Amino acid sequence: MPYLSGEDAVKELRRALSNPNVQSDPLRYRNTITKVIRVMSQGVDVSGLFPEMVKACATVDIVQKKLVYVFLCSYASLNPQLSLLVINTLRKDCQDANPMVRSLALRNMTNLRLPGLAEYVEQPLTVGLRDRAACVRRVAVLGWAKLHNLQPQAEIDAAVVNELYSLLRDSDPVVMVNCLRALEEILKDEGGVAINKNITHHLLNRLKECDVWGQCDVLRVLERYRPQTEGELFDILSLLDSCLTCAHPPVMAATLRLFLCLSAGLPSVCQSALERACGPLLAACGSNSREMRFTALAHVQLMMQSVPGLLGAHYKRFFCGYAEPAFIKQRKMQVLVELVNDENVSMLLDELKGYCTDVDPDTAQAAISAIGRIGRSYSDKCLDILTGLLGLRQEHITSAVVQTFRDLVWVCPQCSDVVCAALQGCEETLQDDQGRQALLWLLGVYGERVATAPYVLEGFIDGVRAEVSVSVKLELLAAALRLFLSRPAETQDMLGRLLHYCIEEERDMCVRDQALLYYRLLQCGPEQARRVVEARRSDPALGVLIGRPLQPIDAWAHGFNTLQPLSTAAATPDSSTRGILPKSKSFLSASAVEEGDFLCVVKLMPCQMLPVNSPQSLQAALQLVNIQTMAFTPPNALPWKVYLYTHTQPAPDSTSAECTLVLAELLYSSDTPDSSRITVKQKPRDSAALSGFLCILTAVLNTVSAECKL
Amino acid sequence: MIHSLFLINASGDIFLEKHWKSVVSRSVCDYFFEAQERASEPENVPPVIPTPHHYLISVLRHRIYFVAVIQSEVPPLFVIEFLHRVVDTFQDYFGVCTEAAIKDNVVVVYELLEEMLDNGFPLATESNILKELIKPPTILRTMVNTITGSTNVGEQLPTGQLSVVPWRRTGVKYTNNEAYFDVVEEIDAIIDKSGSTITAEIQGVIDACVKLTGMPDLTLSFMNPRLLDDVSFHPCVRFKRWEAERILSFIPPDGNFRLLSYHVSSQNLVAIPVYVKHNITFREGSSQGRFDLTLGPKQTMGKAVESVLVSSQLPRGVLNVNLNPSQGTYTFDPVTKLLSWDVGKINPQKLPSLKGSMSLQAGASKPDENPTFNIQFKIQQMAISGLKVNRLDMYGEKYKPFKGIKYMTKAGKFQVRT
Repeated sequence: MPYLSGEDAVKELRRALSNPNVQSDPLRYRNTITKVIRVMSQGVDVSGLFPEMVKACATVDIVQKKLVYVFLCSYASLNPQLSLLVINTLRKDCQDANPMVRSLALRNMTNLRLPGLAEYVEQPLTVGLRDRAACVRRVAVLGWAKLHNLQPQAEIDAAVVNELYSLLRDSDPVVMVNCLRALEEILKDEGGVAINKNITHHLLNRLKECDVWGQCDVLRVLERYRPQTEGELFDILSLLDSCLTCAHPPVMAATLRLFLCLSAGLPSVCQSALERACGPLLAACGSNSREMRFTALAHVQLMMQSVPGLLGAHYKRFFCGYAEPAFIKQRKMQVLVELVNDENVSMLLDELKGYCTDVDPDTAQAAISAIGRIGRSYSDKCLDILTGLLGLRQEHITSAVVQTFRDLVWVCPQCSDVVCAALQGCEETLQDDQGRQALLWLLGVYGERVATAPYVLEGFIDGVRAEVSVSVKLELLAAALRLFLSRPAETQDMLGRLLHYCIEEERDMCVRDQALLYYRLLQCGPEQARRVVEARRSDPALGVLIGRPLQPIDAWAHGFNTLQPLSTAAATPDSSTRGILPKSKSFLSASAVEEGDFLCVVKLMPCQMLPVNSPQSLQAALQLVNIQTMAFTPPNALPWKVYLYTHTQPAPDSTSAECTLVLAELLYSSDTPDSSRITVKQKPRDSAALSGFLCILTAVLNTVSAECKL
Repeated sequence: MIHSLFLINASGDIFLEKHWKSVVSRSVCDYFFEAQERASEPENVPPVIPTPHHYLISVLRHRIYFVAVIQSEVPPLFVIEFLHRVVDTFQDYFGVCTEAAIKDNVVVVYELLEEMLDNGFPLATESNILKELIKPPTILRTMVNTITGSTNVGEQLPTGQLSVVPWRRTGVKYTNNEAYFDVVEEIDAIIDKSGSTITAEIQGVIDACVKLTGMPDLTLSFMNPRLLDDVSFHPCVRFKRWEAERILSFIPPDGNFRLLSYHVSSQNLVAIPVYVKHNITFREGSSQGRFDLTLGPKQTMGKAVESVLVSSQLPRGVLNVNLNPSQGTYTFDPVTKLLSWDVGKINPQKLPSLKGSMSLQAGASKPDENPTFNIQFKIQQMAISGLKVNRLDMYGEKYKPFKGIKYMTKAGKFQVRT
């Protein structure tokens, strides 16, 4: 067959369509129309054939009709005048004896999407609502929604809305669900279908008759219903209970969402719903379809914000298969990091270690940073693996490992010795900007402990002319200055060269300004420079916060079973920065805490001995009573301090929605061995809450220290 | 809900589009193509791509992307499951779901899509009902249609929608009354270096082919129903009865349907039907590596392991292999480094093995990971979970049907690490 360009093909087809011989032979006529559709599906513009196709519409052959309708619906908007001709044929078909023809005609009439034709369509649609065949009613109901979409500003006919409401009680479940869908669209401005007790119970009773898609839609609409009594709520929940373990993931997710919505104020009900739904969700995580697995994993991640322990036993289900796509592997690793505990840590790390050599560099890097995250709680094992990976001398692996080191030492300064020893020789394999920046930062901060640091920096400084990345240059400047402050003799000469180059020859403003700043800083003397440059070190005295406060289920329930968890960036928020301040409506800055009108109380608390040697158990105990630990000094150091915060929930019956924030510092020093001093700051003033806080804290401290003594 | 659907092939051509609401321009797919370019493998295209005005939710099956365009917030699982249903339907209709098959049957495809969704809402997705609306093309029917000029559209309204039991049409008649059930289990497992199981789970289904006259009411009971976790039933199964007595009681749809699918998780012990002995070593400094692989059956209750196929992606450093299979044939593609060994049946007396050497790139360092083996196999007449049907009874009709139950175990994602 000769190659035909788009225009030639259209010309050829037009000739065939208007050929009387073709028209008289139904088979040839239909085949020609099939050809038109095929060309159309290849993206060729065949709208020029519209008049011929309108003619072809008047036929008794259903397939031909269907094909012409496909064509007409795609191009009607370009030829509104000619489409008027089609309407007559369609209206005639609406009175056909065969319900299938009736529904087909009705559906396509509404699919033409021409606002001008609305007046012709309304009458058949009204008749269609009362048709005795269910399939016509199904189409007619949705037809009204389509009609409304065409003219969104037009008045809504109250009679139609009433008719649709009454069709909610239709014997056919699909008609019922379509009514819901149509009303949702038509009444969008009024907030969708009005859901009252009768409709709710009617829908719930008929839920079983619907197909899975219908069930999802019904469940979604029911979210708006608020049960009047607790008894009614539990009736509804027990009706829905079997759907919760439904093996169709969409239904299960919709049911769980409804559960969370209805029982928003009852955390224990939510919790048990999550436990029930856990099985089907896990099954969806192992589904054959990758997309399904991905979506299920995203939802598992959501759930784990509140109930991390729920899936602890199933951690093996999140091990990556070898042929899985990268986006699933990365999600699975994020889940695995959250599931780590004392028993499975070595198994998990072995598994993650296997992923570090993945063919896909992104997956490998994700695995390495996952190990880094686990390293915050199990540093020894993780550091072994990470240093082992450096031996592979693979560019992307080394880069990821060095970046992970940087992040790890910031939160766990105690790891720095191992890290410093491991950095030896890394610079040879590092190529990318991020990796080199991380290395420079580490060399700058821990320069005095890495023997070769000046030589590595010298290499960088010698190559600075050829360096393209601005951020590497900035990092290099900072590293050179820091190293100079700790090892002046070896670094002075090269720092001079670097500053000279950056100030005199560098083209980039940022780098030049930074260099000038450092230069002037050094003119003020090394002590001044040290104060400015080294202030940003992490404080090793701050204990690491490994456990993060659990999110209440309500915090994420509104995002469950929506696109939100899928499209948010794959990275979960960093646990080390979490939990510093409660979710207050306005952010508190450090100065506000210092200067604001906080009520300040200093008190001595009778307490035999603080659990100085096991701060973790104290932290866990305090979390049980909703007091969060922000930081504490390392075990067995004296004086020993711990910083705490808590806030009250706004009382449900009180009119003011304000909650009070309590910050506290607990100091235990050897001067007063039988008591510890507590400094409490509170805002706004609420003496009842304050005394309650002190009372609870005393009780917890006494309990924990009694345990410690045993 | 679902605004439009685009079908895109691996080379990035849109070869079919369907709009259920207003027409969305093809240019929306540019965002998808961007993601496709960025992905190293076809599977790595993320399933959800946000664009300024739409969301694109895609499913990759048979090397075709089914891209749904969404304009408002929807439950993602819903859309994904629906797209899979579309693919399943195509496969059911055309036997295969390839670009060529879809292009050949473009008319039926449009008809199906039109019936499956209206205004973006799912309408008819049950294969039984669809097949009554639109008859699947067969060679014979295509020929008859061409000669007589008749069509593949059912003239009758699906009767199922009028009967009391929505999934079964009334007035079914057969001369031979038969009911067949296939218990098919797929075992997914990851086996580690030392041969111990890291994870193992079984996904099972019971597919039925029921051709019975009238309105039969069937009950099916198992010897060990407690094995099943996460059971999902065809809507015809009476759930109350299952909860109370663990018996499947149902009025079956006519023809082929999936009665239930289930899941046996790692909580129960899963028997692993094959073991692999391997010795794959790369020596530092030399350009040779040793390769030695032996397969054997275990825990198969005396049934033969058949259609065994081992495939593996060897490390990039491997130039070629020189192997000697004791049975079957092997192929190695030096470009993709894909080794595949078609073993056939495992004979327990004489275990199949594949031995020989690999030549490595000269001067390259020793590969840092050992290959993973994917194993496929089939075992007839056995369900690996141990599930057994106890009896099948029919009520409500007088005749005696012919009943048959077949068991089969297949490997799903079965991996052995070395």
